[in-house]
Amino acid sequence: MKVDGGCHCGQITFEAEIDPERVSICHCTDCQTMSGAPFNAVVQVSQADFTLKSGTLKMYVKTAESGNKRAQMFCPDCGNRIYATSAGDPPGGGQKFFGIRIGVINQRRELSPKRQIWHRSAQPWVNGLGDIPVVEKQ
Amino acid sequence: MQVDGGCHCGHINYEAEIDPEKVVICHCTDCQTMSGTAFRVSARVPDSDFHLLSGTPKTYIKIGASGRDREQVFCPECGTHIYAAYPGSEPQDFSLRLGTIRQRAQLKPTRQIWHGSAQAWVNDLAHIPVVENP
Repeated sequence: MKVDGGCHCGQITFEAEIDPERVSICHCTDCQTMSGAPFNAVVQVSQADFTLKSGTLKMYVKTAESGNKRAQMFCPDCGNRIYATSAGDPPGGGQKFFGIRIGVINQRRELSPKRQIWHRSAQPWVNGLGDIPVVEKQ
Repeated sequence: MQVDGGCHCGHINYEAEIDPEKVVICHCTDCQTMSGTAFRVSARVPDSDFHLLSGTPKTYIKIGASGRDREQVFCPECGTHIYAAYPGSEPQDFSLRLGTIRQRAQLKPTRQIWHGSAQAWVNDLAHIPVVENP
């Protein structure tokens, strides 16, 4: 599925060819902090299927609980997170995978997560959104 | 309730006194884009009850649906968004991003706004398979 998107201020734009079956939710505490929300939602694509159309990304490297170093790529102007990938070159010269944040994909309404990871650190209320009052006007 | 928190890289640290009854889910499309996920959650905190302890945040100004400028305050080093505010020095509530609050597991949203643009699957997380060892 062909998608496009970018950051809020418009500096970063991209196109990608994604598999809608590879959309997942991550409840890890790093994703909570960095999204500001209770979980992150991403779609995994191989590097070759992601094309940066405009802009210059900034990289922040975090060390995951596994010890893996993950490069977090974001727009330096508006702070919008775009994707994460492994830091450095993959062993054996293979392809890298990019975890694109679904919030930056224009077609996100057509995507739904297929699995959830790091559920042990999920916020306790995330399964109960239907019980939280909706206020239509702020 | 006294809380503290900060960005992922440690550049920004803060303390705040929040009201746990003022924790709001926002489903607006700007929050979807800027969080990278389905929605954002914020604790509303009077600006006088928010204290920046370390770091120099960067500000990006977006125009809200109301037409007013809205400051998005984030860490320039790691990109973690910390809070949103209106420009100027008038007393106001900051929208402090829940994910940056260390005590977030003790907080539960009390209302949802901009639900008209909510992602279709957000009420059905219980039906999405959980994989314990990614």
